[in-house]
Amino acid sequence: MRGMKEMTYQHSESTRIVLRSLVRVICPPEAAPIADDIVAHMALTIGASPAVLQKLIGTGLTTYDLGALPRYGKRARSLSDAQAEAYYVSWEHGLTPLHVQFARAINQLMSLSCYEQPLMMEAVGFRPGPWIDEVRAKRLRVFAADVARQEAQVLAPDPLRPSKPEAR
Amino acid sequence: MVAARQALHEGTRPSGVITRHDIHGDLVVDADVLVIGSGAGGATVAAELAEAGYDVVVLEEGSYYQTRDFTADTSGMVRQLYRDGGATMALGNPPILYQEGRAVGGSTVINGGMSWRTPDKILARWEKEAGLHGIAKDLEAHFARVERRINVAPMDAEAIGTDNHLLKQGADALGWNIIGNLRNQNHCVGSNRCAFGCPTGAKQSSLVSYIPRALHYGARIFADVKVKRIMRHGKRATGAIGTVNGTPHHVTVRAKLVCLSAGAIHTPALLARSGFRTPSGQLGHNLSMHPNVKVVAIFDQPVTNWKGAHQAFQVREFQDQGLVFAAIGMPPSVLAMSFPHRGRQLGELMSRYDNMMLAGMLCEDTRTGRVRSVNGKPQAFYQLADEDAANLKRGVSLLSELLFAAGAKQILLPFHGAKDLHSADDARALLKANTPTRGWEVVTVHMMGTARMGADRSAAVTDAHGMVHDADRLMIADASLFPTPIGVNPMETIMALATRGAAHVIDNARRLLS
Ligand SMILES: Cc1cc2nc3c(=O)[nH]c(=O)nc-3n(C[C@H](O)[C@H](O)[C@H](O)COP(=O)(O)OP(=O)(O)OC[C@H]3O[C@@H](n4cnc5c(N)ncnc54)[C@H](O)[C@@H]3O)c2cc1C
Ligand code: SF4
Repeated sequence: MRGMKEMTYQHSESTRIVLRSLVRVICPPEAAPIADDIVAHMALTIGASPAVLQKLIGTGLTTYDLGALPRYGKRARSLSDAQAEAYYVSWEHGLTPLHVQFARAINQLMSLSCYEQPLMMEAVGFRPGPWIDEVRAKRLRVFAADVARQEAQVLAPDPLRPSKPEAR
Repeated sequence: MVAARQALHEGTRPSGVITRHDIHGDLVVDADVLVIGSGAGGATVAAELAEAGYDVVVLEEGSYYQTRDFTADTSGMVRQLYRDGGATMALGNPPILYQEGRAVGGSTVINGGMSWRTPDKILARWEKEAGLHGIAKDLEAHFARVERRINVAPMDAEAIGTDNHLLKQGADALGWNIIGNLRNQNHCVGSNRCAFGCPTGAKQSSLVSYIPRALHYGARIFADVKVKRIMRHGKRATGAIGTVNGTPHHVTVRAKLVCLSAGAIHTPALLARSGFRTPSGQLGHNLSMHPNVKVVAIFDQPVTNWKGAHQAFQVREFQDQGLVFAAIGMPPSVLAMSFPHRGRQLGELMSRYDNMMLAGMLCEDTRTGRVRSVNGKPQAFYQLADEDAANLKRGVSLLSELLFAAGAKQILLPFHGAKDLHSADDARALLKANTPTRGWEVVTVHMMGTARMGADRSAAVTDAHGMVHDADRLMIADASLFPTPIGVNPMETIMALATRGAAHVIDNARRLLS
């Protein structure tokens, strides 16, 4: 069972909805059809990060969501596209360094998750899987003798000191 | 003696590797030597002492992976192989994002494989400032031994990708010194996945070199075990207690000698929380970081930076001034994350991903930070010195000049709000521009020096061989030992010091291991 933290963190429903509403602001328009996948991927990344960061992100998103109320009379999650853009910009160039840092952090996390999606990787021509397969096979085919020699070297006796250990 | 084959061909986990799935209750284990951490330092000590005939147990917090586990899933690899998903931060202005491996093999599993001996001028400084007389001469044989073991070699020419050729082209055009990187690899074929676990088995990280060797000579490696505390009897270390990740179980190892190799952030924290105090009061101090900034250059022609060997060259023209440059291929997600752009603009920028080249530098820093314990966890504090910031900015300007000489059309800077560069003149003008450091993106993967060695017990944490001053049967073998930053990639220095430490243990076995 690997990636323990991955399994313990899940977005709250509220976090998921706010993040979902930010996809149109942060990701390129062509990512719209995969918004749910992007948000789901963010849960994995957040889940692997330090607990304190997880808490900060949760608190920050709640503040972000509610912070739209005084200005728009509704939460950030319910803003129109134009309002959502203007509201995010107000954080991006924010009142305090905390606003700025939070907007930047969400941008970073979401951009990462956006370009981890197969659709987006394909769109920019990034296809590491076949490339890895190709060069791995080439290495074993072309350099088999050297590969075997190195493997043998790794295990071959080569004592650091000639004598037997004194203590044994 | 336990047989262990190379990780690449392992159908199953080698015997000798014990993971959380094998542990179903509290365990007590006896050994001659307990090694805490299995990275560059720990794996080396474990292999050397196991081969010398000692019963070695390694406790490693991270999990055990094999070459076949390293896939094209970038962020999946980061979550599995990096501590805290790579989101660890040294506090200061600017904060510095640092990254550490957390797996059997430690940071060597995710490192770039650059393998360099400690520069002569640094060893001379260590002799003079830390009283480490004769260390330069002494280390020669150990460097050679490490290089043999991890196969330090120049790159195969055909594995070098376009980004690195461009770096060389730019340096050659300016007449700057650029050298081929020596790397611990055996026919690296340029998959450019070093930072996510080498999927071909070419990189001779500790995972496929010292770890199989340690197992072959009988060492036992407990993965998924986080050491909470080193046990002691007065000043004598007697073992350690760890918890098995995700379970309530404990593993207790009783040993004649404890070797701490948890890396420069965790080693001082673990010593402190185990109640060890050193006479110098320097434990956790002296943190060097080789701060690092990167630029993204966009070319008219395709670069396809994800194909080709990782960092095939290094620009050494400014090494005397503490700066070394290299090209680093990165997946689109990592680049997208580094840009302030978003929405349609991000899409437009990323549509040129295939034409992008990422290049960066390490800076030999002049100021040190500190690791403190906050709520029982290590927290790094590091304030970038003004002169180092000036050096980094100069480095960005010079590196940008090189990239324009190689044909770059646009360069994106790591300084928040700074305008993109479009010419070598822009690059030179950058030196006069106002770029407040609080908006800089500074990262590092080289943390060093938090338990520095030295002859003077009132100034250093360990002696010249890594034995902790004022403690008994407790040694350190990792990056914490460095008295100063070294200005080049540190792995080989760590391994050579660990080999030297192991030789000291064997030579003094009657005292240390009886
Ligand atoms: C992305 C990246 C790229 C790099 N590239 C290069 C390069 O090209 N060349 C180079 O020379 N150097 C490079 N480095 C640096 C180099 O890998 C490290 O300096 C080196 O591995 C440090 O060795 P170490 O033994 O001090 O610690 P590590 O190798 O980090 O090993 C420490 C181990 O201790 C374990 N540990 C920590 N605390 C505990 C605990 N409480 N209980 C049990 N286990 C614990 C950790 O999980 C880890 O596995 C790179 C590093 C990174 C992260
Ligand atoms: S670039 Fe070479 S060493 Fe790095 S991961 Fe690929 S094959 Fe392995």
